Amino acid sequence: MSKPYRLSAGGRLIDRAKKVSFTFDGGTVSGFAGDTVASAVMASGQRVFGRSFKYHRPRGLVGLGSEEMNALVGVGLGARHEPNLRATQVEIFNGLAAVSQNRWPSLTWDVGAINNRLSRFFPGGFYYKTFMWPRSFWKHVYEPFIRRAAGLGKAPEGRDPDAYEQVHVHCDVLVIGGGVAGLAAAEAAAANGARVILADENPRLGGLADISGGQVDGQALPDWAAATGARLHAAANVHVLNRATAVGHWHHNFVMLFERVADHDPALLSSGVPRHRLWKVRARQVILATGSIERPVAFANNDRPGVMLASAARGLVERYGVAPGSNGVVFTNDDDAYQTAIVLKHSGVGVRVVDSRGRAEGALPNKAREMGIPVDAGSVISAVSTGWGGLGITGVKIATYRKGQGRVIRETGAEADFVAMSGGWNPALHLWCHNGGKIRFDEKLQAFRPGEHHDKVTAVGAANGHFALHQILEEAYRAGSRLAGSGNVHPVPTAVQAEERPLEPIWFAPATGKYNEGNKHFIDFQNDVTAADLELAQREGYESVEHTKRYTTFGMATDQGKTSNINGLGVIAEASGKTIPEVGITTFRPPYTPFSFGSIAGVLTRDLFLPIRRTAVHQWHVDHGAVWEPVGQWRRAYTYPRDGETNHQSIDREILAVRNKVGLLDASTLGKIEIKGPDAAEFLDRMYTNMFSTLKTGKCRYGLMMNELGFLTDDGVTVRLGDDHFLMHTTSGGADRISAWLEEWLQTEWTHYRVFVTNVTENWSQFAIAGPMAREVLRKLEPSFDISNAALPHMSFVEGRLGPYPVRVYRISFSGELSYEVATPANHGLGLWKEIVAAGGEFGLEPYGTEALHVLRAEKGYIVVGDETDGTTTPIDVGLDGLVSKKKADFLGKRSLDQEYLKAPNRKQLVGLLTEDPDDVLPDGAYAVRHVKDKPPMEMIGHVTSSYRSPTLGRSIAMALIENGRARMGETISFPLPGGKVVRARIADTVFYDKEGAKLNV
Amino acid sequence: MLVVKCPVCGAEGDETDFHAGGQAHVRRPATCDPAHVTDAEQRDYLFIRINPRGLHFERWRCDRGCGKWFHAARDTVTMEFKAFYGITELPPMDVIAQAKGQWAEYFAKRLGAERSRETGA
Amino acid sequence: MSELSYQSPLAGLAEPHGLSVSIREIAGRGMIDLRGLGTDAAFMAAARGVLGVDLPTKPRTSASWGDIRVLWLSVDQWLILGTRARAHELLASLREALTGIHALAVDVSDMRAIIRLEGEGCREVLMKGAALDLLDKEYMPGCCRRMRYAEIAALLDVVEDNVFDIYVFRSYAHHAWNFLCATARAPAKLKLFGAQEVPG
Repeated sequence: MSKPYRLSAGGRLIDRAKKVSFTFDGGTVSGFAGDTVASAVMASGQRVFGRSFKYHRPRGLVGLGSEEMNALVGVGLGARHEPNLRATQVEIFNGLAAVSQNRWPSLTWDVGAINNRLSRFFPGGFYYKTFMWPRSFWKHVYEPFIRRAAGLGKAPEGRDPDAYEQVHVHCDVLVIGGGVAGLAAAEAAAANGARVILADENPRLGGLADISGGQVDGQALPDWAAATGARLHAAANVHVLNRATAVGHWHHNFVMLFERVADHDPALLSSGVPRHRLWKVRARQVILATGSIERPVAFANNDRPGVMLASAARGLVERYGVAPGSNGVVFTNDDDAYQTAIVLKHSGVGVRVVDSRGRAEGALPNKAREMGIPVDAGSVISAVSTGWGGLGITGVKIATYRKGQGRVIRETGAEADFVAMSGGWNPALHLWCHNGGKIRFDEKLQAFRPGEHHDKVTAVGAANGHFALHQILEEAYRAGSRLAGSGNVHPVPTAVQAEERPLEPIWFAPATGKYNEGNKHFIDFQNDVTAADLELAQREGYESVEHTKRYTTFGMATDQGKTSNINGLGVIAEASGKTIPEVGITTFRPPYTPFSFGSIAGVLTRDLFLPIRRTAVHQWHVDHGAVWEPVGQWRRAYTYPRDGETNHQSIDREILAVRNKVGLLDASTLGKIEIKGPDAAEFLDRMYTNMFSTLKTGKCRYGLMMNELGFLTDDGVTVRLGDDHFLMHTTSGGADRISAWLEEWLQTEWTHYRVFVTNVTENWSQFAIAGPMAREVLRKLEPSFDISNAALPHMSFVEGRLGPYPVRVYRISFSGELSYEVATPANHGLGLWKEIVAAGGEFGLEPYGTEALHVLRAEKGYIVVGDETDGTTTPIDVGLDGLVSKKKADFLGKRSLDQEYLKAPNRKQLVGLLTEDPDDVLPDGAYAVRHVKDKPPMEMIGHVTSSYRSPTLGRSIAMALIENGRARMGETISFPLPGGKVVRARIADTVFYDKEGAKLNV
Repeated sequence: MLVVKCPVCGAEGDETDFHAGGQAHVRRPATCDPAHVTDAEQRDYLFIRINPRGLHFERWRCDRGCGKWFHAARDTVTMEFKAFYGITELPPMDVIAQAKGQWAEYFAKRLGAERSRETGA
Repeated sequence: MSELSYQSPLAGLAEPHGLSVSIREIAGRGMIDLRGLGTDAAFMAAARGVLGVDLPTKPRTSASWGDIRVLWLSVDQWLILGTRARAHELLASLREALTGIHALAVDVSDMRAIIRLEGEGCREVLMKGAALDLLDKEYMPGCCRRMRYAEIAALLDVVEDNVFDIYVFRSYAHHAWNFLCATARAPAKLKLFGAQEVPG
């Protein structure tokens, strides 16, 4: 049955001197440079490209370009494999490996095809109806079955070896589509001095110019297109992008162009160019010259391999010199498809025309008849006959047709091995609709056309429903001129083209018998939705087209309804007795065609996946074996395990060093904000719950911040550097947020305050030297200032030098030990850190990480905003009532603390927990319940906020937010854990170590 | 993605260069008279917002630019910005005139109050 | 104790190879963040007195005077650049001159890393990380602006036509550097607009 179909001559795009061979499903196929996988495979005589999604019916080529919905292939091997590419767009090269999809084990013999025999049981809404119950079947029965049977293509294996990138670009005019209209619009805009980007999804410009016939200024249309394209490539103010599909159009003319830079050329790819590039274009004006897409006709078994669009059949001959078959039928309701018949006849292919219109007159039909092509007017194809397995057609049935006719009584047979169908042309409105453009139904075209658009978008040519060459040129040149700003109208060349008479819509070609009695009229080929499915949905009450869409999955496949949309609406309209505008439309959503994840990620992969912030000491931490803890985008040392130590052993060692000797922590990530101005003190009184205007210069005070809801958002120590000058410390994650927060209140509420705020977090490295020996270490560092307890007591500050290092020293403690936080400008940070490590050696100094820090603070009952608080926690909840000023008239959150629901008696309060078994460490987040039951649900009365094993105390400690917790001191409560274990713990004070604070004031 | 223009420094850019700050012209009752803010006033201040289909008034910050807050009038259907104006200012009169529903009521009250303050002074 | 040790944010990084433009760290620059009201004549005069040049008030512009360069950051904020030693002197002089004037001058010499891009195609390289219209005539020498670059906050200073300084906060220096190395790879060089080859 398979025989070569390459014509002896013709094929504008191929170079017969350059043979190219590649594989399709493992078999070698040869073609010529310029071929696509589709054209080369067709030339080899093979018709079947894949199996359909639901019924596993064999499917062949239907389209010419990106509208192709059946011939989807996976291309490339291993990590470079890319599924779901349209064979019509994949350019071949030597060594290319393509595979068909959705078939098992082979294209010609497919197990899943049983679904087709059982299709009576797979009506529209099948999945909804069948897989609803029993619920437990979903996970183990239905889902694995569906996943195996369905799915298009398979994912690549392994890490993507190629590079991808994104680029932002701005232009005055973005012209999408490089066909006749796009070329004309771009030329006019460029001539007016605009910065123009012309993007086209094909390897070269021209659109359908090469298969449309006609002349411009005496030149054949393809020659005019080539010449205009060359001028645009050469222009200084134009950037032309080939192989670049506009995949989405968003607000304010933000358009994404997906450029396949190197897919077509392995040599280019191996030179290191990005495989794909995603352009993020911001255009003042967008001109949509996206053309139109031919629509199929719904006739019985219109999905059989060999049934294709008339434009595709014409394109195969004209572009690639490939015959769609040896003897075929053009089935049409318009004049345009006669061009296909004429081209086929010229190439020596047997052809006849079946025209559903009562009268087939006009230039093109007459020309066809003159050439000896038989034309059956007032007729339809009522059936196709196929060979074994439906792998290819052998003939068609032709019947007479009147509009409204429901069923065919008499039909005559004719031999045919292909059908070229045309149900008219739909303007490609996808991009128009992505950005909220309205569309309207055009009775003459029987298609939707652009209506209103609130953005600066203009559709021209076929995209605007204009198909006559002179009309396209006039409109496109005018639009390009007008939108470029200066508005000098570019001269419009003269056009000559055969005139076409209007189409007559046919949404459904009748057949003998009822629907689904061996006859399937496919509407959405990719999702296997038939006319019968749409009618069933109507009968079942899915009146809204949006409901029908979701119920039947019509228009929801990767082709986003490119060929099916209007046909489906036509069927629904006829079934419901409405007009198409009454039925309404569904929305096209991005992307226009699928695009790669690689291009979406761009260069933001591997070490660039997330911006990582490093302190000045980062490399030292790396060199000393630090395990990392991500804190926001920062990487902080979690602990520094030594040879053979577990993290736990290492953390315990670090904690005990701080408690008994001295430790060193890189605290550079803490937020640091300078605040200065005559109103700075009053401003801080507004920001913090407690009072800062009373703070003495040179002193530090711990402050709490609430948002306006009365919930804790940050905390930290603020230092008064001078009368009108403060330095605020924030949490590590809070620096940018809190500095923006301060600015917001200054700019939007207390605009009369004279205060400046500068975030200086990154200017300083800051290290905590903590432990009983901290002063000895500091002394060894040659301080230029008095560090005695009298001169520099707890919560005080001094500025000076340690040896040659300029420093600010804050005597503050988050560990409960004698502690100095030493800050030095960041470019000196590493140097000072090393000096401290060296100076501390004789005192047993150990660097410690964030986990030791957390255990140390938990032993002291110090809260961490974000651990002990969850965004709904007030200062009172965590027992810090003392830090909420009673004197200040107003500060952020004050009024909200007075609301009833924040004063309710049963709020959760922060308490300490001591487990009955001291070796039990409660998991973070464990729930406390009122009564333990055999199984959930159990009534929850609180949860663990922090939980550690304390090496200092030799037992576990925890903090928890427990309903009415402070009134339950001494009570034992239960924490049922997953797996059935119940941990019991006694409610205790949150301070587990050195309750008097004796160790702080030494 | 929207294109925003800062009225303070004139920088124009993608919305990712800016920070959206919710509804504009929300009054903080405690700033004026902290001792006499009713629960209802506080509730309205914290939680009650206008959510119109059409012209809306918002706060934005020139986050990756001059750092200043400002106001914007935006149509929530077409996404068109009708005006950008200062953080302490009211919208231009021609934009106020286009306001509907709750916004129209708000501006009528606000302008009325200002007029009576002027005549009182 | 030994000498004062100094490590610039990108110290010790190997020189990158195979890039379409040159990138290098500009280390050792001193910087002062100066805040004050552009509408306050006393403030502006005091600043001019110390710097020898008016603080630029036109948004997104820079001004230079001898070894001092001033970048506009906001209507009430400027970044003053000089050598580190000079910055220390300037800061002391500024603080003295601004006594009694509402202002905030802070030494931020260690807060940012500066990466210089040089060569044909710099703009296109930057366009892979910034949404600005860098081909517009606004981005000529004398222009500076804060921006979102490579997903982080950055400051752009157009030094000469094909010379750009990118300032990023110190902790992000390696991220910005790696992003530039990834986007400036020679095979990924991009030329926008101008004559192009017609595909065959």
